[in-house]
Amino acid sequence: MLPRSDTSALRCLLFSFFFEVYPILLKVCLNFLLRRLRSLSVQLALIVTFHPFQVTKLSSGLVIASLENYSPASRIGVLVRAGSRYETMDSLGVTHLLRLASGLTTKGASAFRICRGIEAVGGSLGVTTTRETMLYTVDCLRDHIDTIMEYLINVTTAPEFRPWELSELTPRVKVDNAIASQSPQIDVLENLHAAAYKNALSNSLYCPDYMVGKITTDQMHTFVQNNFTSGRMALVGLGVDHAILKQVGEQFLNIRSGTGTAGSKAVYHGGELRNQTGDSLVHAVVVAESAAASSAEATAFSVLQHVLGTGPRVKRGSGSTSKLEQAISKATVQPFDASAFNSSYSDSGLFGVYTISQADATGDVIKAAVGQVGDIAQGNLAASDLSRAKTQLKAEYLMSIENSENLLEAIGTQALTEGTYHSLEAITQKIDADPTAVAKKFMSGKKSMAASGHLVTTPFLDEI
Amino acid sequence: MASKAPVAGGRLLLGFRKWYYNACGFNKLGLMRDDTIYEDHDVKEAIHRLPERVYNDRMFRIKRALDLSMKQQILPKNQWTKFEEDVHYLDPYLKEVIRERKEREEWQKK
Repeated sequence: MLPRSDTSALRCLLFSFFFEVYPILLKVCLNFLLRRLRSLSVQLALIVTFHPFQVTKLSSGLVIASLENYSPASRIGVLVRAGSRYETMDSLGVTHLLRLASGLTTKGASAFRICRGIEAVGGSLGVTTTRETMLYTVDCLRDHIDTIMEYLINVTTAPEFRPWELSELTPRVKVDNAIASQSPQIDVLENLHAAAYKNALSNSLYCPDYMVGKITTDQMHTFVQNNFTSGRMALVGLGVDHAILKQVGEQFLNIRSGTGTAGSKAVYHGGELRNQTGDSLVHAVVVAESAAASSAEATAFSVLQHVLGTGPRVKRGSGSTSKLEQAISKATVQPFDASAFNSSYSDSGLFGVYTISQADATGDVIKAAVGQVGDIAQGNLAASDLSRAKTQLKAEYLMSIENSENLLEAIGTQALTEGTYHSLEAITQKIDADPTAVAKKFMSGKKSMAASGHLVTTPFLDEI
Repeated sequence: MASKAPVAGGRLLLGFRKWYYNACGFNKLGLMRDDTIYEDHDVKEAIHRLPERVYNDRMFRIKRALDLSMKQQILPKNQWTKFEEDVHYLDPYLKEVIRERKEREEWQKK
């Protein structure tokens, strides 16, 4: 029990603390906090106004695009306009070998070091070839970007194509070709392009049999010299700083400047190729020339494609909203699958119908499918079908770029072909085209066809 | 003095090298130095990487030497390989093979 005087002294002390010292302390603390907050708000303001997407075009012609998505993993791609359409007749299959040769020795690193180095940082290196572009992608964690960039630059600008390493790739080419021949879809589509075009786009993505094992180092080097120039390249990064990419682009990716040898313009000539295999399921595709990817008609063709149907939207569903399915189910009761085929390149395109049907019903199926497109060409298209198709097209595009691989490819292709990137809003607004006119174009255009299977009832082009 | 000694030493060394080359005697069978190198694992890999023409020439020279050795003969003097003509064709390939092997061993150690 404290004496009364002490407790009162204590109480006085406490009171004074609360009423005099405490406010002073509080004020000091608040000032301190406010100062910190103010600087933080300035930083926040910087982050909020910083534009995540940037595109630069260097004087050498190289286009650099980057999107900061604050992801812990970065993905960098080099796109080169060096697809299979740029192969010459003497060196068909070079792009196939080039696709497989991404891990071979370069001037700066041996094959062993590329493989182990990329594995050591947990990254990966991949190559994708289309008829028009080659895309080299690397992905890794953000901290290891410089290591992996070194390998990417080596692979794209300074490969050596040593003869003994190339000959080791021959079994892999054979495996690729064997896998492709197992798939009737690949067979039909390669035949379609070979039949439809006279040059450029008729080149196959796969090495022809007579060239397997015969492609020389010189042919590879010539192709790279002529096509891997900075005017035809784009460097794209997701989750990478734009300044770093710019520095890399200026210093390293300008070894070969200029635009290289111009490819020839694809000439559509319309033919048919039939591959009798005796398979009970017949894969057939009937197309006409459509429009280049950058033209206004291309969107209309995409809308038409979705009107006709691109496969079931519900797993194991009936796909009953597809116009093609509706038309063909009136013509036959046998199982079938039909979808619209639409593919656009930089100076041409193909649009048509792809059908898979039983061998004895193929004639009815193909005629019904083409008839349905003719029906739409005459204007028998309900408004609900049209709006459904437009919504599906928008949804498909937006959902495809949710994936970082597809996003990189989308940004890269736009950067390569146009030098800029259109925002999502701009693209989705363009999807407002009427497909009737392009359906007429399909019906009146010169057709091409490719078919594979037991072709006993498959009609020829002049019988459709 | 400093400039004279290496030149004089260089000519002396060259003379010695030529004498040693002729004393070795494989040039009398029409062989080059790289035809006679012992074929260990690295050398085998380097030979595997030779371009076709060089490899065929090598095989021809070795066959001819084996044939001569069986007959206990040597080539006439005008066909002996001269020191100046002896090309070390295998050297670049062998160096590359050894460099790759060393790189692999470095990585294994890590």
